[in-house]
Amino acid sequence: MILINYLKSTILSKFVMAVTGIILVLFIIGHCIGNMQLFIGRESFNSYAYFLQERIGELLWIMRIGLILSLIFHVVTSIRLKFLNLGAKPKKYEVKNYVKAKLTSRTMIWTGIMIFAFVTYHILQFTTGTIYPGDYNRTDYYTTNAMSVKKLGSDECCTKSREATAKDAIINYRGNQYETAGNHPIISERHDAYGMVIHGFRRPIVAILYIIGMILLGFHLNHAIQSAFQTLGYNNPKYFNKIVVGSTVLSTLIVLCFISLPITIIFGLVGGGV
Amino acid sequence: MKLTLYIWRQKNAADKGHMEKYQLNDVMEDMSFLEMLDVLNEDLILKGKEPVAFDHDCREGICGACSLTINGVPHGPEKATTTCQLHMRKFKDGDSIYIEPFRAKAFPVIKDLVVDRSAFDRIMQAGGFIGVSTGNAPDAHSVPVSKKNADLAMDAAACIGCGACVAACPNAAAMLFVAAKVSQFALLPQGQPERKKRVLSMVSQMQKEGFGACTNFYECEAVCPKQVSVRFIAKMNRDYLCSRVTEAVEV
Ligand code: HEM
Ligand code: FES
Repeated sequence: MILINYLKSTILSKFVMAVTGIILVLFIIGHCIGNMQLFIGRESFNSYAYFLQERIGELLWIMRIGLILSLIFHVVTSIRLKFLNLGAKPKKYEVKNYVKAKLTSRTMIWTGIMIFAFVTYHILQFTTGTIYPGDYNRTDYYTTNAMSVKKLGSDECCTKSREATAKDAIINYRGNQYETAGNHPIISERHDAYGMVIHGFRRPIVAILYIIGMILLGFHLNHAIQSAFQTLGYNNPKYFNKIVVGSTVLSTLIVLCFISLPITIIFGLVGGGV
Repeated sequence: MKLTLYIWRQKNAADKGHMEKYQLNDVMEDMSFLEMLDVLNEDLILKGKEPVAFDHDCREGICGACSLTINGVPHGPEKATTTCQLHMRKFKDGDSIYIEPFRAKAFPVIKDLVVDRSAFDRIMQAGGFIGVSTGNAPDAHSVPVSKKNADLAMDAAACIGCGACVAACPNAAAMLFVAAKVSQFALLPQGQPERKKRVLSMVSQMQKEGFGACTNFYECEAVCPKQVSVRFIAKMNRDYLCSRVTEAVEV
């Protein structure tokens, strides 16, 4: 049980909260930047999705396991600390006025639990395709001249390569986004992550759910990022104010980045041709 | 001025306790908060009732004996001021004031507004001292201390151990108190030999006493009558993490 021995110490517990939290934040920043490729277009987004799914090999699972472990440790530690803290203050004040504690810092466990529920839903929808299999099971056909193929130097990226007919291409590329099949023979197919996201977010309920989920994440991170610095002992009068401001700026940027997808999609500004 | 007071009354540790309403009609604004309670108590005694028990000693803001959570803020509305130094001119005629004891599992109520803060003494006994007799005050400059560290150590040593940090913390964490007591030594040469052992044993005692964990609300710093900064908590975290890894002694 050496793995959970750290729970006996509140400072070590907070250390684990901070380190796992930072790992999750770094992932979220990467995820956010990756998502922005949706604005470049289907070709870019799908080849990025393909790259993550098929090209990085074991690295994908190493990353997934690292993230899942971080999330598990983060959640388990936070729940254990919450119970400890409730026990340390069994009698609340009749009247309580906070001077410095903010709504964000006082609701960490609740925003956290809601983020956990959101992440579960998110994985079931976009990673495993359990929730809307129709959205998930879409195929993207593309030509040898597609940008990702050109960039990678050959079409070897496409393990699912097959001979497709020009008819497929016309069916799938109503928007005529790439060169026509006539000029460049269609040779490959891959998972249409772009179409999946567009169709997903066209459902108002899904779009709203994501917007709410991301705002909750923003609340959590607004307190969390600067808090992690304090927990790890980085608090110096010279720059701590900047860390607090930076925490707000970064969390706001992350929220804006993420919610820009459902907002632009639901208003038809992106993905109109799909 | 006229005031309506709602005061926590509790006969003893076993009693459940409740809020009771009192009306005061001629409070002078030059009175301190505790003098206002003295007036109330005189009145209660004349009426043959049990006076309100509250802690106090120096009444000049240096001993840390006075406590009281006033309208939901330990030591009341004025920044960097103990309850004994709070004056009634900070309140308005007709105000309602809620007065409650410092709340924490580690600070059990003894009677009315008096709580048992001896958990802090036991934390101090666990390591808040230098383990050898250091004799008389040394000659100035015989032990070089940088101005910066001397100032910081003084900032930490300003802690009067009143427990407002615990009372204000939604988690009843004692991190600010312990951090101040650890840091006042960690910043000075005399504190170095026992530095690691000290932080480990004081933190360990803090947990045994049943104080909560820090969530970085920074509420402690906001109510501290001596304005001890949460920077000392960051410093203690650093010291603690490093000592857990490098100190051979099992604590
Ligand atoms: C993707 C998700 C998440 C990220 C990026 C994240 C990030 C962070 C970070 C960086 C901290 C600061 C650590 C510190 O105070 O030193 C934190 C604190 C916290 N997180 Fe999360 N978190 C996430 C999900 C969750 C979940 C799912 C839960 C809960 C069930 C949760 C509960 C908490 C709580 C309660 C704290 C405050 C702990 C304390 O100060 O006592 N978080 N989070
Ligand atoms: S009575 Fe001594 S500090 Fe208030």
